[in-house]
Amino acid sequence: MSLASTPAHIRIDKLTFDYGGERPAVDTLSFDIAKGEFIGLLGPSGCGKSTTLRMFAGLLAPTSGKIIMGGEDIVSRPPWERNLGLVFQSYALFPHMTVAQNVAFGLRLRKVGKEESAARVAEALRAVRLEGFGNRRPAELSGGQQQRVAIARAIVIEPEILLLDEPLSNLDARLRDEMRFEIRDIQSRTGITTLFVTHDQQEALTMCDRIAVMNGGKLEQIGTPVEIYDKPATPFVAGFIGRANSVPATLRLGPGAPRLEHEGQALPAPDLQELPSDAADGAKLAAMVRPHAIQLSRQDGDGLTARVNRSVFVGSVIEVELELAGGHKLVAELRPGSAEAQLAQPGADVALTWRTTDMRIFAA
Amino acid sequence: MTKFLSFISRAYVTLVFCIVFMPMAIILVISFSADSYLSFPPSGWSLKWYGTVLGNTSFMQGFRNSAIIAVIVAALSLALGLPAAYALVRLDFPGRALIRSLVIAPLVLPAMMLGLGILMVFTPAGLVATYPGLVLAHLVMTLPFSIRILQTSLSNLGTDVDEAAMTLGARPLQVFMQITLPRLTPGVIASSAIALILSFDEIVLSLFIVGPRLQTLPVALYRYVDERTDPMVAVLAVLMIALSLAIVLVVERSVGFAKAFGR
Repeated sequence: MSLASTPAHIRIDKLTFDYGGERPAVDTLSFDIAKGEFIGLLGPSGCGKSTTLRMFAGLLAPTSGKIIMGGEDIVSRPPWERNLGLVFQSYALFPHMTVAQNVAFGLRLRKVGKEESAARVAEALRAVRLEGFGNRRPAELSGGQQQRVAIARAIVIEPEILLLDEPLSNLDARLRDEMRFEIRDIQSRTGITTLFVTHDQQEALTMCDRIAVMNGGKLEQIGTPVEIYDKPATPFVAGFIGRANSVPATLRLGPGAPRLEHEGQALPAPDLQELPSDAADGAKLAAMVRPHAIQLSRQDGDGLTARVNRSVFVGSVIEVELELAGGHKLVAELRPGSAEAQLAQPGADVALTWRTTDMRIFAA
Repeated sequence: MTKFLSFISRAYVTLVFCIVFMPMAIILVISFSADSYLSFPPSGWSLKWYGTVLGNTSFMQGFRNSAIIAVIVAALSLALGLPAAYALVRLDFPGRALIRSLVIAPLVLPAMMLGLGILMVFTPAGLVATYPGLVLAHLVMTLPFSIRILQTSLSNLGTDVDEAAMTLGARPLQVFMQITLPRLTPGVIASSAIALILSFDEIVLSLFIVGPRLQTLPVALYRYVDERTDPMVAVLAVLMIALSLAIVLVVERSVGFAKAFGR
């Protein structure tokens, strides 16, 4: 999806929430959301993602910054005038109303006529595959069904944006996988712009068009799941999304192409564009490489020398713990049955290499 | 050993229950006495004292007064307690923590002191021996309970559901009337029932401010016991226990006490 050409549907501009703690809970956060986009707000707990969502919904007043929706700053509007759908982690259904009454609540407040309301409620329940559940009470439904009622209730008012606050974390593992696709499917069918808050990188990677990674109240990186995974912009993103090894490296600018060394041994040749522009000879850097990108070979020339500490079969891959000459440890994932896996016997000495394109370089 | 311990604990619980319920059982038995004085066990059985009580103007007047006052007190406790509880739980204002702890002050003060204070304020205000006076005095006792019960119910509700309603377009008053209040029903019933029972049984504060023109049932009973002791007292006690029990049962049946108290 080419987002540069799509006009921003919603723009978050330097949004800040500072309740006087050590640092702002949300710090000058800015990003755009395109119409119909499914965007994930991902980060560890306390990173400010939930605070951002609450400011979006109008349940928390930002210290400064703007939220532009439909060309207007909505920050000063109360929640009931924002026209957005919010789905809570706890579902927050109205227990004293039937499913249909729950879904119709927003329509009733908008003074939608009885017949139209009934039709739209039926349509929303069909969208979440809960036809025929209209007369049940929330307490009679399973967690996954309650979740879908909450979504139906939020989308029936045709909100500008659907806000999902950790919607899957109260479900058991099997249902969580199911609901992941279900939610994404509902979103694609209705085309509702969605902001999905989660701490689970797997959820974010599998569901979102784009992911905004937050840490310490700041935006670390925003991009497609592939971009975030393959080209993490910061060491935090590299470590938070997927597994990553970080190898301390020293930059050697000497004659010829720049090289990276670890304990005097050469790392695979770095991509010149990756190197920090201000890095001088001898600069301390960190080379990031994913476990599955590491290739093992016999010690006969190129590569970092390492010893195999441990080799564990975990089903689809073999996880190998490797120790470099200086004692630094790495994890590699090998395909079971491959020649590499044969080499990975505990105590064996091996050489490690990886492709230049699989390595990211950060200032240490 | 465990068997022995379980026997001991069962015996202990039985003993405690006996101590608690023995007086009530004795009173229940005496209320059916045919004697003209309080004695246990009674020498004969009859229902005549029930008839005497129902024919006693002083008691029936007291009952009427107590019932009227209790209903008004329960209604006002809710009307005043609900906004107070809402403010203490949901709104943030300076001094909230202080007010939260001050609210229960009337419960820890000796009732005697409260009564004296109330008398000194009410006399110049002309509130002694009037309905408004008794209602106000009882409210001093019932409001802390109402506020505490409603506070607990409210905080147990959480804010998610109300916030969900708000994002769906409901204004604060609509949220309160359509979402918060219906979900608060158990707490509302429980706090009203407690206020009703407390007011109906209240004696210490009432003693200070009743007069010959206006007497509550507990005060009438107390005065009567002062002069005479016949099974009529036991009958009244049984009737009052029955009434309180009925209210408790209604609460238990409609919402469940544990739920009403938000546990």
